[in-house]
Parts: sequence; structure tokens; C-alpha cells
Amino acid sequence: MDADGFIQTTDLTKVYFSGPAQVAALHGVSLSLGRGRFLGVAGASGSGKSTLMNLLGGLDTPTSGSIHLDGKLISDRSKAELALLRRHTVGMIFQSFDLIASYSALENVAFPLLFANVAKKERGRRAGELLRTVGLEGRDHHRPAQLSGGEQQRVAIARALVNQPAVLLADEPTGNLDSKTSEQIVRMLYDLKTEQGLTVVMISHEEMLLREFADELICLQDGAVLSHEILRARP
Amino acid sequence: MRATDYLEHAWSNLWKKKLRTFLTTSGVVIGIGALVCMFAFGQGVQKNIRDQFEEMDLLNYINVSPRHGDAPGPAHGDPDVQPRYTTPPPVSDPNREVTVLDDAFIAEVMNMDGVEAAFPEMRFPAQVRLGEKEQFTLIQVVTSKACNSELVQLRAGAPYTSDEPNEVILSDSLLRRLGNTDPETAIGTEVEIRTIILDFSVASLMRMALAKGDQRLPISDRRYTFKVVGVVERMGFGGALPIRSDVFIPPGAADRMKKLVLTGVSDLFQPAEEMAGYSTVTIRVASPAQVAPIKAQFEQRGLRTFALMDQLSEMRVGFVIMDMFLLAVGMIGITVASLGIVNTMVMSILERYREIGIMKAVGATDGDVQKIFLFESGMIGLLGGVFGLLLAKVVSFIINQVVNGFTSGQGVPFIQYFSFPWWLCLGAVAFSIAVSLIAGIYPTLRAARVDPVVALRHD
Repeated sequence: MDADGFIQTTDLTKVYFSGPAQVAALHGVSLSLGRGRFLGVAGASGSGKSTLMNLLGGLDTPTSGSIHLDGKLISDRSKAELALLRRHTVGMIFQSFDLIASYSALENVAFPLLFANVAKKERGRRAGELLRTVGLEGRDHHRPAQLSGGEQQRVAIARALVNQPAVLLADEPTGNLDSKTSEQIVRMLYDLKTEQGLTVVMISHEEMLLREFADELICLQDGAVLSHEILRARP
Repeated sequence: MRATDYLEHAWSNLWKKKLRTFLTTSGVVIGIGALVCMFAFGQGVQKNIRDQFEEMDLLNYINVSPRHGDAPGPAHGDPDVQPRYTTPPPVSDPNREVTVLDDAFIAEVMNMDGVEAAFPEMRFPAQVRLGEKEQFTLIQVVTSKACNSELVQLRAGAPYTSDEPNEVILSDSLLRRLGNTDPETAIGTEVEIRTIILDFSVASLMRMALAKGDQRLPISDRRYTFKVVGVVERMGFGGALPIRSDVFIPPGAADRMKKLVLTGVSDLFQPAEEMAGYSTVTIRVASPAQVAPIKAQFEQRGLRTFALMDQLSEMRVGFVIMDMFLLAVGMIGITVASLGIVNTMVMSILERYREIGIMKAVGATDGDVQKIFLFESGMIGLLGGVFGLLLAKVVSFIINQVVNGFTSGQGVPFIQYFSFPWWLCLGAVAFSIAVSLIAGIYPTLRAARVDPVVALRHD
């Protein structure tokens, strides 16, 4: 556990109700992650990784327990407040890239800026700059179908970064990529953490990859934290 | 999101699904087109009537007649069409002063503020014969001055030059009924006017005593020959037209004729003092706005009045009812079109379910999502409204051309059957947008309620 607790969860529990049946996707998860740290979350399918990610990103709300981000309680916020949190503080990337197929790479990256009331010209400038940062110079007007899986994930990373968030949540970002591309993508996340001081939480079933780049690693099993390792101490 | 971004985003999304957008918008175009067409037709009818009233300068006239209990007012060209006079409440004092509509009254009226002209109206029944054909009608006594004014529109010939000669102006409809279809050839011909008189001569009384059944009346006739000097186009409908009859003769000639000035049975029961003077005086005021106050002054004096302005107000109520009916019919099309919008928007939301999840993942609020889809719905309405208006214009143009093509062969002048006032054009587009927005409420609420976690897992 990190003392400064930029991201802090306490007894986080999420129960899904399906008629009379109850499924506890997470129960009693407490963790603390310092600013600018890279947390790897490993675990088998159904261990609660994505649920944890959705709760940290405010896409879902916990059944009980709390989440603090930068010292502020976010788990009791309204849907609209959580949307604003995702707009300004948290960037998210997903396994299936989740780009809008009919948009170009540039439009996909600029998309979140629409909701942040950024002017069209500025949206284009910032999106173009980020595409260059993720190594996609000259691919501005390519649609997702015209890009490789790795390139699509880079576009997704650029989109997650366009609002300059403090936290990047990556849900199995390498799940659909080959090992070489996977390593490139995780290295990119690592570089972003190192160069921009971004706090990164990455879910992956590839534990070895996480061990190579993450500062901390937790393993989830049946919705609970099985282990929490500090792989690299704070400098 | 800024309004321009919403618009751009909405247009972009609709453009991606061109066929669906086209089909959905077509429904709105047809619905709005039909609605606007019907409304424009209603407006056209109203405008034509209003314009005709104004063109014929009918709204500035007041007809004044003595109060005869509840009897109808003076007869007009069509005995079946009696103007609805405003009758003042009965005066309880039987010794009240009776206003006689004589020359002194006309002179007094002429001095009233806002009165431009006042002239008496006198009509009497008679038979008019041209060659072998005879028609019963009302003869109207019209001064040569009035005949020379714009009140009398001649189709052929000229007005009589003074108030004395035995000259007559006929309407073209009477001329047709008398067997002449060419007004030009009627000029200079002679017609016989046969008046009815009460005959209490010994010979008449003897005839009456010996007669059977309905011949037991002291009635006789007198025949007068008049020269046709002009032919007028008869006015097409009833009302207080100052000059409205099938036959006009000058006052001098009328004075020389023996005639029974009866236009209704009620005339037989009028008090003698009220039989004095003219049966009606027509007054022209400077503007329609002065009709009501001047009319009120006459009513205060116990006179009965009639003004077409009153009927126009009543007609407005009728127009509103007609508009409501047309609106109700047009709403059927709009209802069908709005169901099309609901269907399209629901389909769009289902197709873009994952996209909605992405929107929410990158920071869109439920309100943002709702507005995105509402703008799309509104955009369909905008396109439907604009093109529906254009469709209505095109359809109305075609109908106008076709109908006028048929009627022009019968000598009817070109009539614009449809009217598109600015408020109808703007209102149609605004209504189309409003209906589309209403149709979009359910789908957009559904879009806003999408759970991003579920949507991002959705294939």
C-alpha cells in the first residue's frame, strides 16, 4: 500500500443482482496507489478485474465501500459528476479499442473534447499532436478498419490522453494484440507514466508483461485481492 | 458540447445513413407538405375573399334603414339573401321621434366626421322584357353620378349621362337570362319594364268582383320602354353592396313611373310616418375602422344598420373552424411521419449502442447523449419542414395551373387558390422540428439511460 493514496479503495464490494440470485463480483477490496505509479491487476477471467476498473472509472458504483481519488470521495457521486470525472481526470482504454468505426483516427482522438466544449480548431490541433506522440503521424484520416490492432490501440490511448487526465485505466489493452505489439503498447503506457507522471492502472491476464513494467501488482481471485506485490519502490 | 457541434454531429450521423435518413425525412416531407398545402388552401380562400371585399371596396359601407319592428331590411338583388341588420332595442316610448331617411337626413350624414358619401337606395319589383323573353327582378334607382363612379363597372356601353332619360343599365346575367349572350349587341336595344301598381279604379274593382280565386286583388301594371345604354357584371354574392341589382335606372325616369315600392310583405304593415323617405341610405365611410363608431351613432337614433364588416368578423370564426378541420386532417400524416422518426431513432440507438457506451466512457453525461440524439431528431424535422414546404409550393403550383387551365376556358380569371403567408412558412418548419423533437423524446431518453458498462460489453 502506498502512503499518499492517490487512488484509494476501502472494502470495495460490488454485488450484481439477477432476480433472486446475487453475484459478488468484488468484495472487500482495499488498495492504495500513489500518484504516478503503475499498478498491474492480474487475475483469471471472472476474478473481478473489469469490475474494479469500471468502479475506479466511475462507470459503475460500488454496492459498499469507498473510492477516493486524489483525496476526494468519488464513490458517492452522481452519474453526471462521474461523467465529469471521466471527462477531466480519468482516461480509459479497452481491450477491443472501442473506436468509432465511421470516424477517422483524428476524429476518434478528438471525440472526448467535444464534451469538454473545446473549439473545433483546438480539438484538431490537440488530437493531431497526440497522434504524433503515439507514433501515428500521417494516419490522421485513416479509419479504424484501415489501421492494425496496435495502431488502433494507439489511437485509443491518444483518445484517453486528449483531456490530459491524471489517471489512465487500461482494461486488457493487449488482449487483442500479438506479443510484440503488446509489449510496445505497455511500454508506451510505461513511458507516459514516466514522462508525464500519469498514474496507470492496467488489467491484463499476462502477468509476465505486468511484472516487466508495473510498479505494483495485485492478483485478484474470486473478487478479492489474493496478493499485492511492490515490484518497484518509489524513487 | 456547443450547439454547432451538436448540429455538425447530428448532420454527420444522418449523412452516414443516407437511405434511412431519406426515407424517414420523406415521411415528414409528405406529412408537412400535405398539412401546409391544406393550410395554404384555407389561407388562399380567406385571402381571396378578403381581397375581393377590399377590391370591391365593400368594407367601408354602412346601410341604414328605419326601424320596422323585426322586419327584414330593404331587399337586394336576390330576394332570398337578406342582410342581417343590427336592430337596436325597442324604444318603449310610443311617441318617440322617428328619423326619416330623407334628403335632410342625407345632408346631415354628409356632415358627419368620417363620412365620405351618403346616397339613398330605392328598389321596386318589375318584369323586364327583351324581345320574347321576360324576367322578374328588382329595379334599382341609381343616380347618374353613382353610375359614373367606380361603383359601377361596365362591361359594355356607357353610364347614363343624366338623371332624367329612360335609359337602363342591365347586368350581364339578366341579359343572358333574356337570351342575349353578347353585351355589345345589347347596347342601343329597347327593353320593356312592367311595374306593378295598386289599381282602385272602377274597372279594376269590377274585374276584382267578377274574378275567381287569387285574381281578387286590386293590382294592375304599367309598361315603360327603356333604351339599354350599358351592361354591368353582376356582383357575385350577397351583402350590403351599394349598387347591386340586375337593372339600374336614373331617378328622373323612376319618378315618372307608376310603381309599387314594396320589397316585402312587412312593408304593408309599416307605420305611415316610417314609409316616408327612403327605405335605405347607403353611407360610405373613410376607412373600415370608422364603420363601428358611425354605425353606433345611427343605432342610438333607433335606426337599423348593416355593414359587411360585421359579417367579415363572423366569417373569421368560420375560417378558424375550417383551419382547425384542415389541421386535424393534416395531423394524420404528421402522426404517421412521427412514428417513422421514433422507429428510425430507436433503430439508430440500437445500432449505436456501443458508441453510446464510448461516449459515456469519454465523459459524456446522460444529458449530452440525449441532446446528441435530439439534435438528430430535430435535424430530420428541419429537413422535413423545409422540403415539405417546398413540396407544398410545388404541389400548389401544379394544382393552381391545372384548375386555372380548366376554368380559364370558361372565362374565369386566374385565381391563386393557395396562399403562403410568412408565418405559415416559418410555422411549418418550426412545427416540423417540434413534432420531430417530441417524436425523439422516447428514443433519446432510452439512449440516455444506456448503461455504459453493458454497452461496452455489447457486440
